[in-house]
Amino acid sequence: MADAVTVGVNLDAFSHAISGIQALRSSVTRVFESLKDGMKNCEIDLTDREKKNCELDQIEREKKNCELEQIERQKKFITEFQDNLQAVNRDLNELERLSGLVGRPSESHPLHNSGLLSLDPVQDKTPLYSQLLQAYKWSNKLQYHAGLASSLLNQQSLKRSANQLGPSAKRRPKVQPSTLVLPLQYVDDVIARIGRMFPDMTIELFRPNGTSAVLLVTLGKVLKAIVVMRSLFIDRTVVRGFNENVYTKDGKLDIWTKSQYQVFQKVTDHATTALLHYQLPQMPDVVVRSFMTWLRSYIKLFQSSCQRCGHFLQDGLPPTWRDFRTLEAFHDTCRM
Amino acid sequence: MGVTCVCQVPVAEGKSVQQTVDILHKKLEQLGAVKQGNFCVDCETYQSTVNAGGQPSKLLYVMHNSEFPLSCLALFEGGPCLVADTNFDVLMVKLKTHFQNAKGHKVECRGSRYRYCDFLIKVGTVTMSSSVRGISVEVEYCPCVVPGDCWNLMKEFMLSFLGNNVPELPTVFAAKPEGLFAPADSVDTMTQYLELFNKLRKLQITGSNVH
Repeated sequence: MADAVTVGVNLDAFSHAISGIQALRSSVTRVFESLKDGMKNCEIDLTDREKKNCELDQIEREKKNCELEQIERQKKFITEFQDNLQAVNRDLNELERLSGLVGRPSESHPLHNSGLLSLDPVQDKTPLYSQLLQAYKWSNKLQYHAGLASSLLNQQSLKRSANQLGPSAKRRPKVQPSTLVLPLQYVDDVIARIGRMFPDMTIELFRPNGTSAVLLVTLGKVLKAIVVMRSLFIDRTVVRGFNENVYTKDGKLDIWTKSQYQVFQKVTDHATTALLHYQLPQMPDVVVRSFMTWLRSYIKLFQSSCQRCGHFLQDGLPPTWRDFRTLEAFHDTCRM
Repeated sequence: MGVTCVCQVPVAEGKSVQQTVDILHKKLEQLGAVKQGNFCVDCETYQSTVNAGGQPSKLLYVMHNSEFPLSCLALFEGGPCLVADTNFDVLMVKLKTHFQNAKGHKVECRGSRYRYCDFLIKVGTVTMSSSVRGISVEVEYCPCVVPGDCWNLMKEFMLSFLGNNVPELPTVFAAKPEGLFAPADSVDTMTQYLELFNKLRKLQITGSNVH
């Protein structure tokens, strides 16, 4: 209610102020108009005066008349100009008084002046305000994510100039190894250590295209997984059956073809989810170890029943999901 | 080639063999299995004509499976087995003097092949010299290679359409050393078919004795 009243008062003052502005403008226009015309518009009066003085002798009074006319015109022009200026002054004072009544726009609005756009009654035609809010939200989010990304990128020394720092750059990898450029020997060591941790899992390391490693993980007699690495980060993984081919016809590792069995297609999906789940940019070796520990829980892929429904099969598939923490087996639909 | 289990399904009470097969088909289709063509397994029996040292003559079984159309299996009774190309049949004709074909003993199993997820199911009728002897069901779980690992899983699947007729772990697997690993060939499957055929053959003989 109170809001409605104040709005009403404001609107009233607004309309008065607007008419005040109009008055001011017209008076200012009058000033300039009179200035533009100069003293010419005083001539009509002068012609009247000439008629009155018609009896006077033309030649004799010519000079005197001229001077008199000049003075008369000036006087008239000045008084008119003064009047006009006074009118302007009066209108200006009036407008100032009215603007005091209108008051300031409320400062409480989060978007300040642009918040007034919400008062626009024709929302359907110009949805400017909602678009503005949306854009504001997006820009906020963008700023937040950019902040996160920049703090993360700062931890990785991607700059080439970092190598030119001299002796300090050499010491740096020992203190905190840059996770993207690790020596091959280090990667080999980490993989070998993980391989030794799990006796039922054999890990073969290949480097088919230069420095990036590709792991062929054979888990018991259950499955074979191809893990494509970039440094110590796991880039992609494909899981296939134990009796499926992992090599192409020309003897190279086949890292693209998916398994012909639905079980292993599902396990591949879950393994990709696990890749996204286990993320720790500071300690990539821990990530690889966690992933391998998780993958190892598939050794009982066909032997374990679902922890929720207790059955082996659901829609023809065994429990393909393994919990990331407890490594318990669930069907894909039972895990929720 | 995964883990395979072949078993016999008794004819339902008051139903003919064809009707029982139809019921099985219907149950599979209700589960969501999709029919994928037909299959055929046949077995011919040869009798050794050479008697070495008064021992009873051994039988040699030559089998074909439509799943492996270019192969032919020769199984000695209780002895070694051999996987050969299909022209092994021609060789057997040449070995007539040593192995005689027991003409009346040819057994055939024909039927439909179904696929459900990673399972392959074959429901067939076993015929011997044009008389129907029984119904066979073969269930294969393709992604797994260790029978011991997936046996419970297969049992649960078979329970869903065979009911009480779920078989026990086939003896072929039970006798295997080294963690029950099934090699990637068809010998285990064919041995099971052979066992089933022999069982049905004997069943018929006892049956005819009763009558």
